[in-house]
Amino acid sequence: MSETLYDFFFVKPWPWWLGGICIGLLVPLMYYFLNTALGVSTGYGNIVKLILPRSRLRWLNSADYIDVFNWRFFFLAGIIMGGFLSARGAGWTWTTPGMGLFTARLDWTFPSLAVWFLLGGLCMGLGARLANGCTSGHSIHGIANLHLSSIIATAGFLLGGIMATRLITAWILGGF
Amino acid sequence: MGRRMAFMGFGIFFGFTLSRVGASGYDLIYTMFTGADLKLAWVLITAIVTAYLGLGWLHFRGDRGYADRPITINKKVLTGLTPVGGVLFGIGWAMSGACPGTVLVQVGEGKILGLFTMAGIIAGTYIYAWLAEKKLLK
Repeated sequence: MSETLYDFFFVKPWPWWLGGICIGLLVPLMYYFLNTALGVSTGYGNIVKLILPRSRLRWLNSADYIDVFNWRFFFLAGIIMGGFLSARGAGWTWTTPGMGLFTARLDWTFPSLAVWFLLGGLCMGLGARLANGCTSGHSIHGIANLHLSSIIATAGFLLGGIMATRLITAWILGGF
Repeated sequence: MGRRMAFMGFGIFFGFTLSRVGASGYDLIYTMFTGADLKLAWVLITAIVTAYLGLGWLHFRGDRGYADRPITINKKVLTGLTPVGGVLFGIGWAMSGACPGTVLVQVGEGKILGLFTMAGIIAGTYIYAWLAEKKLLK
């Protein structure tokens, strides 16, 4: 393999069309081989169950979560491994405390940053369950199936994201 | 077990792709929401069109999968909470620069702060289970 071909696939960011086609193909492929809808956020129920195996909350004991090590667990584990492999191929450092321009522009202490990202995650975790899906399940799988619920949820994702970004830019990042 | 390994394989492919296209970085999500760089929006649109065409092809073949097994599409139900959850999710998406899939990619890549986003999603999912138990949700 020539150096440039390696660079194209493993070092430089992929062009939008290549990423989009690969992600989009997952939806029909997962239906074809496994008769399963692409979706990530439901897998966090498996993680909650893994941490609190004795919880009696009915939702955590519904059919989807009786077996903690069902497909969702393995799918989520695979995604982590995929990120790991990509970082190794590109020659990135093993760990980084940074988070793009957010940490580059702010001199927050680590605990403040940790709380910020924890709160962001909290909104996403609760929001995904209330909306019954996340970016993969609703915005990609659901819209491709023309589900009205997914179109409404995705409009909400974009509305919330654009509003929050405006506030973050104005109040925290100092308008740029 | 083979089925589980297949899911792990799809997961690796998904995580690798998300990382390579830059979806796991904070900056591209921020610039998508400000409109400065719409690369991720184009990734999403291309993915939706590809998935739509692929599903159309499966439907054309009679919705039969591998070894002629029937395919059942998972229909997403619409409730009054869908838009509320959607907006809340969007706020979290912008705050953390990640979604539930890409945060796993961040953790795999070694982004330490991604671990806190992930912990937040786990906590948020638990809060949902608790709210549902107390019948605070319709």
